[in-house]
Amino acid sequence: MSRAETRAKPAGADETRTYCIVVAEDAYLIREGIRQVLEQEDEVEVAEFCSDYTSLLQAVERHHPDVVVTDIRMPPSNTDEGIRAAATLREQTPDTGVVVISQYVSPHYAIKLFEDGSAGRAYLLKEHIGHRNHLMGAIREVANGGSVVDPAVVEVLVEARTRAKNSPLGHLTPREREVLAGVAEGKSNAAIARTLFLTKRAVEKNINSIFAKLDLADDTDVSRRVVATLLFLSETGSSSSGGA
Amino acid sequence: MPGGRAGVSSRNQMSTGRTGVRPRRAVPTDGPREISLPPFPDAGKDSGEAAADRNIRGHPFAGTLLARRQATVSELTVLGAALVVAAIAVAVVASGSLVGSGPGFATLLVLTILAYVVAGLAWRRARPWSPLGPLLIAFGFFCSIMSLDALAQPVAHTVGILTEAPTTFFLIWLVLAFPSGRLDRTSRWVLGGIGAVILAGLVSRSLAMPMIQPALPLARCNAACPDNPLQVVHHASLTHAVRIAGAGGRVAIFALVIGIIAVRFFRASRPRRRILAPVYVVATLLGLAAGMNQISTNWIGAHVGPDDPRSIAFSATWILFPFGFVASIVLAYVYVGAALASMVRELGVSTTVVGIERAVQRVLDDPRARLAFWLPRSHRYVDRHGRGVALDELDAGTWRSFDKSDGEPLLAIVHDAALEEDPELVEAVGAETVLALENQRLQQDLLDSIAALRASRKRLVAAASAERRKIERDLHDSAQQMLIAVRIQLELARGRVDADAKLDAQLGRIGDDLDRALDELRSVAHGIYPPLLADEGLPAALTEVAARTGVPVELRLEDVGRLPEEIETAVYYCCLEALQNAAKHGGADVNVTLRLWWEPHLLRFSVSDDGLGFVPDAQPDATGLTNMLDRLGAIGGRISIRSAPGRGTDVDGAVTVGA
Repeated sequence: MSRAETRAKPAGADETRTYCIVVAEDAYLIREGIRQVLEQEDEVEVAEFCSDYTSLLQAVERHHPDVVVTDIRMPPSNTDEGIRAAATLREQTPDTGVVVISQYVSPHYAIKLFEDGSAGRAYLLKEHIGHRNHLMGAIREVANGGSVVDPAVVEVLVEARTRAKNSPLGHLTPREREVLAGVAEGKSNAAIARTLFLTKRAVEKNINSIFAKLDLADDTDVSRRVVATLLFLSETGSSSSGGA
Repeated sequence: MPGGRAGVSSRNQMSTGRTGVRPRRAVPTDGPREISLPPFPDAGKDSGEAAADRNIRGHPFAGTLLARRQATVSELTVLGAALVVAAIAVAVVASGSLVGSGPGFATLLVLTILAYVVAGLAWRRARPWSPLGPLLIAFGFFCSIMSLDALAQPVAHTVGILTEAPTTFFLIWLVLAFPSGRLDRTSRWVLGGIGAVILAGLVSRSLAMPMIQPALPLARCNAACPDNPLQVVHHASLTHAVRIAGAGGRVAIFALVIGIIAVRFFRASRPRRRILAPVYVVATLLGLAAGMNQISTNWIGAHVGPDDPRSIAFSATWILFPFGFVASIVLAYVYVGAALASMVRELGVSTTVVGIERAVQRVLDDPRARLAFWLPRSHRYVDRHGRGVALDELDAGTWRSFDKSDGEPLLAIVHDAALEEDPELVEAVGAETVLALENQRLQQDLLDSIAALRASRKRLVAAASAERRKIERDLHDSAQQMLIAVRIQLELARGRVDADAKLDAQLGRIGDDLDRALDELRSVAHGIYPPLLADEGLPAALTEVAARTGVPVELRLEDVGRLPEEIETAVYYCCLEALQNAAKHGGADVNVTLRLWWEPHLLRFSVSDDGLGFVPDAQPDATGLTNMLDRLGAIGGRISIRSAPGRGTDVDGAVTVGA
């Protein structure tokens, strides 16, 4: 699997590559924001800006982009077109990465996005798009088959899960909780090590300890690891049999 | 019951209701005037007078006070006269020397006179239009002539005995005319024939018998009887033949009458049998006793003394006979009481028109009875199938109409002709039906307004909910998007700031403020309407709510699928309210369990906590609880909130879905 190999490299290592991108966003102001953010980036070339679900799928067919950056909520139904587009593209062009940008902090949508596989998928909050390297980092990750979850969303999950009665998260040290959040955000061990100023070795030790305490099977595949962690976090002690 | 007055007035109305009963004191051809319905003003006056007329002659409980007092005075007069006549009869019997057991005969006469007069008065009071009452009274007075039987003077004695023949005729007339007082064609022929036979017997006996025995056992004079002054034929064998033939004729007449009433009884409808039974029973008993008496004295030639069982039986049935009429009336009233009680019971169970009609049929004991309802706009009656009912084309005595308490016609009962003789029953049933229908209409109005209220409440809640969704969308699409765009631009601007650490820090602070503003806006929008609820349904939205609540929430959510929006919204906000209450008032260590599950046709949810609890009635800020009740009430759901200090709080809700 060529993907697994590229993923092993730290994100952004392939600096010479130029990513072909299709953007779908119905709100003009946000679209302009995205345009400006992406104009700063040399490795990105935006093939087309669309403003609804149908034109997005047509544009993908025309341009075969590496990555699609799409609003979660667009015409025609203004509900979760972005997630549906991601699911459709998983079938039609499995190599296309999808970054869903959303105004919803609710983890529900992120989990839904990852339901049929988290490889090459990212869930970002719109207000963080302007942050340096935020959108670009996600684009690079999904282009290489990685996964990204906005830290704000992970925070909601971790907070809720920590509060729950007899939460297994109670057994984790603060450092381990930080590492767990990093895992849930889709970061590689190296990335976690960078953000937390730890050695890669220390991160690995932490992760082993966390997964043992939470009784989760560790997975060297980062994107599968994301899903497992997200699902674990979202359980909230619930015996919900679906829907959520 | 607030209808105390209404009941009285409806009863008054009832008595003035037009009926199919022919005015019996009037000439029969007068009938149609009263039958015609008066929805038209010109007809109204006429029938109004007729109604007032009926009212005075009317019903025991229908008449005015004055009419009743007049009736009572005339009754007392008749009774007084009867007493005087009875006293005279006793005096006559006492002055005579013929009858062996004088006191017995006198007692029998007094009892006879009083029994028939009292029975006649009772009948007249209950059925003022019926000729049977006056007939009974007249018969009582007529019987006083039989006191002459006790006299030895031949002419007086003979006159006394000759009155016995018409008594038989009279009694048979009473029986055949019962209960209407009218004789139909057949009865008239039969009665005519019987009259002829009796007359023939009377003449032959008068002319051929040397002396005539009184028929009444207690009046017998046997060998002491005086000679017959009318005797013209003196021939022993002829005398014997007349005697045997006379007795045979009488026995044949009795048998004929018993046969006629037996046939009539078995051919009668059930309501009619109930009326006929008392009089037919006493009539049969009297016929049998009289027949036995004839056979034993005339054919067998037995000497039947006054103390003989056969004599006593005859005298007893003779006295008993008029009480058959009294019993008929008493039974009618008793039946009305029982019937009304059972009707009230039945109407309590069924208030549909079909149910009311069945109750009427059962109570009237007339399976073919029908209700006809007055249509005020088209001025006609229709049955429950909407078919027109032309009352004026129906036979007289087969229907009776009833008015509402406000005087409007309401309904008519079309019934078996026999029920004409049971006016108390029909009127009571009619009054009860009027009440039931008016009550049902009131109830229907009430239900309609409750349904309208519920529907408008539902619309209000739905409108409010739609409005909230719209506001939420607007917030998302305008304010939130703009803030997000500004937030993006701010970061872009920060990226362009080179080497100005102060400006960068300031922009960073503005960015943090913007983030807080966005969070704030997001939670406001979410509070107005959670987009997840609209997108994903209850379990997803409740999961998210539980995650945002500041307390541990255990979720036990069944996948209930998507439900009508108003149900999802109501249940969502009830759970939200309950969760917030638990977080706010439950104390520091509260744990909440949120459940959502299906029962057949029922969506159930519960929010239970182990927090501090409260005294439900002493809750100062009960708007949250009221909100929950309102929201669920609007969609026809139920919610119960149980709590006690130290015991936590249980909120339990149920909504009927798809039923």
